[in-house]
Amino acid sequence: MSEAQSLQVLSAIRALSPLLFALLSLLVIPLVRADRFGKKSDAHARGGRASVLLLLASSVAALLAGSGYSATLSAGLITIDPSEPGRLLVTLGGAVFALIVAVGQGRRAGAMGQVALFGLALIDLALAIPIGLAPIAILLVGSASLSALAAGKKEDAQRARAVFRDLRTVGVLLTVTVMAELLRSAIPLSATDPSYATTSSLTAGVAMTLSLVLLGMIGAFPFHHRLVRIFESLPIVGSLMVGVWIPTALSLIIFNELALLASSVSEPIGGAVVATLFITGTATIIFGGASALLHDDVGEVLGFLAVGNAGWLALGAAATILHPSAVGPLLIALPGALVISLFGLWRISIRRHYELTSLGDLSGWARRTQPIGVVLICAAASQVAVPVRQFFSGGFNIGDDSGSPLITAGALLGAGALAAAAIRLLLVGLAQESRRVHRAPPSNVLSPAAIWLMAGAILISGVAAGFINIEAAASGLLRPDPVESVPQNSTP
Amino acid sequence: MNLLSLELPLVAVAALSGALAVTSARRAAWIALALMATATTLLEFRPTESLPPALLLRLTAIYGAILYALPAGMLERRALAHDLQPRRLIATLTEHPVVAVSAAAGLILGAIPLALPIEGSSVLLRGAGVALLLIGLPPLLTSRYVEATARAAVVTLSGALLLRASILGALDLFSSIAMASGFAALLLIGAAVAGQLTKAEE
Repeated sequence: MSEAQSLQVLSAIRALSPLLFALLSLLVIPLVRADRFGKKSDAHARGGRASVLLLLASSVAALLAGSGYSATLSAGLITIDPSEPGRLLVTLGGAVFALIVAVGQGRRAGAMGQVALFGLALIDLALAIPIGLAPIAILLVGSASLSALAAGKKEDAQRARAVFRDLRTVGVLLTVTVMAELLRSAIPLSATDPSYATTSSLTAGVAMTLSLVLLGMIGAFPFHHRLVRIFESLPIVGSLMVGVWIPTALSLIIFNELALLASSVSEPIGGAVVATLFITGTATIIFGGASALLHDDVGEVLGFLAVGNAGWLALGAAATILHPSAVGPLLIALPGALVISLFGLWRISIRRHYELTSLGDLSGWARRTQPIGVVLICAAASQVAVPVRQFFSGGFNIGDDSGSPLITAGALLGAGALAAAAIRLLLVGLAQESRRVHRAPPSNVLSPAAIWLMAGAILISGVAAGFINIEAAASGLLRPDPVESVPQNSTP
Repeated sequence: MNLLSLELPLVAVAALSGALAVTSARRAAWIALALMATATTLLEFRPTESLPPALLLRLTAIYGAILYALPAGMLERRALAHDLQPRRLIATLTEHPVVAVSAAAGLILGAIPLALPIEGSSVLLRGAGVALLLIGLPPLLTSRYVEATARAAVVTLSGALLLRASILGALDLFSSIAMASGFAALLLIGAAVAGQLTKAEE
């Protein structure tokens, strides 16, 4: 093999490392579950441990491979150029999902690890592909497929209906994405024939269709049902991947597309797109926060917290259109995903310990399970910190951008409700012990597993709340240099 | 192979089979879906001398997924001949006049310039694209049946891609791979979920 070929192979390994680890899991997990590696009764545990190791390895490999020139694969017409946000999502996601799979254990731990591995690989791949139809299509199709994989073969009607809802959403959004691409590709053509649509009307059309894809996928109001049902019925790894992490990656792509679009026309994007995004975002935050306060089922509460997070992403899309070169909106996506993942970690810890899904039955749990209490304290602290930072962060000041005191007041009210819902979960744990909690054995706070759980939770919450400032990397390579504005009705 | 002369028959086949894919049940629906996919893929990629890899990939993905999704015993000769009788197919379409009218309206609407710059675009392709969008979108949004929804999603997406191809030509390789996997995923997930729901409800 020549030196050039060796370099090409090395570049391919670097470019596709998360995907390679995901594919490797198809071989490794069934292999370690074979009888020759231990007792048949431990096969699921071995599969789970293997998937945790693969997730950690994928995370480290993504960090080491990086997103530089040496990690770019060019083969014929295909170019895969890993981006900084993609690698950051894989690095953090690998560690977060490894922790969740390790805590959750169970019969399907290996399969859940595979769902996380493939989800992160798809995110990395989508963010590595140059602008076009493919990145959004990969994430939409991947979301539906992972949702079906996470649901498994269990004959559970509720679970099957959640996947059906996802299938319908993805079917519609794929079509809308094709229409968005058609309209965007028609913008340069409109300059040659002004008797049809104008550049500004086509730009507004693209912004509207892309925003529709974003709102549908992130689960903003009125598309929130999909998100709530996912959290209510799918296993937590599948819920987080399909309901939070893939939408986060999609929002980064769509923010970038909206920024490029807005910076390519001299006039502001019309068609009431920005106003619609502001109103939808505010309504979603209020709705998510209020519903999280009113519901009792842990899965539903988490679903509504995720809906509230989707509201922030919708506001971020509006801010991106108004200020295409601002990085603030890009910085809100990752902390939100990490906060919801922390709640997911809390949910799976609680479920494993108590087998309970109702908050009413869970009162007093924090007194008996301190490590789980620490996880929720971290989640609540970052849930409170993130909305405040998102509200006033550079280039994403809702008060100034929206220009409406109603929107400002609504977003503040919603943020308050979300924070209150997070604190409510904590207070439930500190209330008088319920009978079922009292009967459960207390957990040992000094066990290695509990220490790992607490350390992981503190690290994730530190990143989510901005105390550990690594999310700044997410605004790096995704955003190209600001494009010079061009006059209306000319080729962007 | 020159398909330009076959454009009109292919458009007719696409619209008719698209309508049957969302209105019929069982065998006729799946066969109609395979026909619709073949016609729209040929129209989209317009092979002249050789078959492009993207076309082969799309057809392989859709045929493979349909074969997987077909319930057992669906390809029996006698039953197929019974279900595919022209009399029965016409009866199915007349039982769903809204879909038949949507198909016709879509073909006519496609001939109107709409609001897009269409110089150089094909009227027939545009007509077929709009027709399939109008046929597929209502059941995609409202159907309670999983497999019918998956078929409607395939019809709608094929229509959108055809409309796109009428102005911009075929997709690039990456997007083609993503879309082929999308078609396959829609059908496979539909089949899996339908099976689970049936078992759970039994």
